[in-house]
Amino acid sequence: MRPLDEAETTAVFEKLFKFVGNNLKHLVDRPSHEGPDPTPGRYCFRLHKNRVFYVSDALVRRATNISRDRLLSLGTSVGKFTHGGKFHLTVHALDLLAAHARHKVWLKPTSEMSFLYGNHVLKSGLARITDNVSAGDGVVVFSMSDLPLGFGIASKSTQDCRKLDPNAIVVLNQVDVGLYVRKEDDL
Amino acid sequence: MGKKNQKIPIPPQLPPEIADDEVEVSDEDFEFVESNQDYAGFLKKLDTKSITRHVVRVAGQNEDALETLYEQRNKKMSSQKLAEEDGLKAVDPVDVLPFKTLDGKLYYRAASADSRRSENMPKEGDAASEDEDDGKDKDIVKLTKAERRRKLKKSKREAKKQAKDLDKMDSLQEDTVPETLQSEVLAEVKEELSAEEVFVKKKCKLAEIGMALLADPESNIKSLKDLLQICKDGDRNIVKLGLLSLLAIFKDIIPGYRIRLPTEKELEMTVSKAVQKMRYYESTLLHSYKAYLQKLISLEKQPFFQHVAVRCMCNLLEAVPHFNFRESLLANVIKNISSPDDVMRKLCCAALKSLFADEGKHGGEVTVEAVKLISDHVKVYDCQLHPDCIEVLLSLSFDEDLGRASSLKEEKLTHKKKKRRQSDREINQLKDNDKKKGKQELLAKTREEVNADLKATSFAPDLEERRTMQSQTLSALFQTYFRIVKQAMDPAITRPYVNTRSVSGGFGRHPLLSPCLKGLGQFSHLIDLDFMSDIMSVLKKLAASNGDAVSSESSLTVSERLQCCIVAFKVMRNNLDALNVDLHEFFIQLYNLLLEWRPDREDQGEVLAEALKIMLCEGRQHDMQRAAAFIKRLASFSLCYGSAEALAALVTLKHLLQKNVKCRNLLENDAGGGSLSGSIAKYQPDSSDPNLSGALASVLWELSLLFKHYHPAVSSIASSISNMSTAHNQPTVKEKRQLVR
Repeated sequence: MRPLDEAETTAVFEKLFKFVGNNLKHLVDRPSHEGPDPTPGRYCFRLHKNRVFYVSDALVRRATNISRDRLLSLGTSVGKFTHGGKFHLTVHALDLLAAHARHKVWLKPTSEMSFLYGNHVLKSGLARITDNVSAGDGVVVFSMSDLPLGFGIASKSTQDCRKLDPNAIVVLNQVDVGLYVRKEDDL
Repeated sequence: MGKKNQKIPIPPQLPPEIADDEVEVSDEDFEFVESNQDYAGFLKKLDTKSITRHVVRVAGQNEDALETLYEQRNKKMSSQKLAEEDGLKAVDPVDVLPFKTLDGKLYYRAASADSRRSENMPKEGDAASEDEDDGKDKDIVKLTKAERRRKLKKSKREAKKQAKDLDKMDSLQEDTVPETLQSEVLAEVKEELSAEEVFVKKKCKLAEIGMALLADPESNIKSLKDLLQICKDGDRNIVKLGLLSLLAIFKDIIPGYRIRLPTEKELEMTVSKAVQKMRYYESTLLHSYKAYLQKLISLEKQPFFQHVAVRCMCNLLEAVPHFNFRESLLANVIKNISSPDDVMRKLCCAALKSLFADEGKHGGEVTVEAVKLISDHVKVYDCQLHPDCIEVLLSLSFDEDLGRASSLKEEKLTHKKKKRRQSDREINQLKDNDKKKGKQELLAKTREEVNADLKATSFAPDLEERRTMQSQTLSALFQTYFRIVKQAMDPAITRPYVNTRSVSGGFGRHPLLSPCLKGLGQFSHLIDLDFMSDIMSVLKKLAASNGDAVSSESSLTVSERLQCCIVAFKVMRNNLDALNVDLHEFFIQLYNLLLEWRPDREDQGEVLAEALKIMLCEGRQHDMQRAAAFIKRLASFSLCYGSAEALAALVTLKHLLQKNVKCRNLLENDAGGGSLSGSIAKYQPDSSDPNLSGALASVLWELSLLFKHYHPAVSSIASSISNMSTAHNQPTVKEKRQLVR
């Protein structure tokens, strides 16, 4: 377990910025109330076995008690670095992203299932979308009852969505909560 | 020569002006005359009288005098002839001595005069014959007859005019003559003739002329000019009265069509008496109307006449927007639309509003012109005008079904035609009946003809035309709006503040923005989808332009920013049947504006109430977090402002609670929000983003305070809100409060 180096930090932050935008500040500045300390601590990112974790200070200090090879996980897993050195967000980061998301998409109840099986979001399944999403932005997908279902990349801007064919893809599925069932072993 | 004559329908009118020696008679002419001796006989049969009249008339300067002279002479001669025939031999004293010829016949002086006259004739006849040697005496006579008729008409008219003038002169003289007579005797009296009496007299005259004109405009049209003359009077009050009475007259007598003056070609053509009269009437009307307008425009610059002139112009524009010269009328009215003078501005605005309201009067053309002119006006003054001039545009109306209906019809038509054609083909293939085909073609042809006829006879303006006009108006309208919005956005404009204040009359930096936003909201359904993203981004910037302490002067007021939010929502709502877009950024703005809003604003909370209604009540769904944040903020907001605003806030709050069942956790007395509070565990009242405020972790203690509000309505609604149960068994805020007691 170690802090991220410069290159890794930029990679992680760039990825997160895609989804949360300026809320990244809130993500980092967020006070943590974990542990017995009366003064709230901060959250930080830690790398452990190619995985990036979002952990509070208090937890990091306590985790040092466990030897590196025995430590499996701490805090919230956010993503992992591939062998090529790229950073990928994993499904565990969903709650974090959903709380701070800049661009959101709400699905119609009928198309929720399709999305949870790993399919992309079609125009016909779109119930609501935040304003000024542009193509390539990261969006978080919600059900109509504000339950985060996953996240992905917008393939069309909000403006283009209006004139779009009902069968056109609006959001490319990157991660959905169905992964917990489908890839139970790999997670 | 003959050809020449045929070419010119009217024979040369000025032979006598050519001196005899100047007339060159070519050899050819002589030859021609000699070779055509038979035709030359007409020379003897020339209608000398008509020729002389014809000839002499042209030469004369005073036609009427000459003519009357001739008429008198003719009369005299005829009477003499009669006398001769009767054998009465009554002679003039001048002709006392008759001639006696060798064969004993008596020739009277008159006869000799006659003969003397006829002596002159051949000479003139020659002159005439030089030109008209083609034996067309009939033609000449005919033409002269026509001319005589015309001349007669003219003389009659002139006589009438003279008579009228005389009458007027008489009436004038009736006033003046006795005075002059008495003046020698009663000089002092005349001096004492006060200005008031003159004024009254002039007034009476105005009234007389006006009444006469209104009673019979056709025959009295000439007196318009007299009225115009009166308007040049030295007395200012008389001028005012004259202008107003002219206004009344014009409003009454201007026809329901646009006058087109006849072209020269048309003037040349001979027309019936009625047409001639009509033409005269119309041209007089038009000329005096033009003179009147010029007078108005020139008087408008003088401060004394400003109001009257503007009132006249506005009235005219309202009453006769279809008539000639409406462009200059419109231009002048629009020039005054943002005048600092309240009365003039109101007048102009009212005129334009009525213009927009009933387009049937002018078929919509004036609307297009007016909107374009206003657009130019705004451009020239760089948006530093009175808000009224943009508010006028709110009364525009657009027919939305115009485009849709016709396009649908066309589609249907083509569809039907296709079907019919197909079925026709089938039928034809089946039966191979040529006769039937021919019949059908004939039917179609006649149907088309009938349709064309119907179109020609029905006066309804063409759909296509109306649509183009409407789109022109719309483009001008939105051009104006966008210009204003853009100007408001531009922070680089550092105009001297004093100057703007004087122009816009104390309406802040962006006097036009608020009516412009209103208009955008009203016509939002007509905005093209392509503009939409631009508009939204601009509105976002405007709404977010919260005043930094440094540039507080250039920032918008709270109500203007609220309006931006409202407009954005309206635009979205009206254009998005298919897609539901979440305007998160505007919610953030509203969330923050609630804090900045001050109760002492002039809009009395109307804008705020509207914003709450449109953004929070009418929206379909909200995030739970966001709804909770708004609920919390509205509750604290209603604590510190007046009862009206508090009531609005509470109604919205209740609505939000009803829609978002989970938010009713706020009514529980258990702070922290439990599992719902999400990632933010603690309520942060100073957060600028509703999603990050963590309001779900808080409790609506404000309601228990509001329960004790002095206003009964507020306290009752607060209690009703706190009674909303979450279907839990836990005690609600109210119960808890009772327990505390």
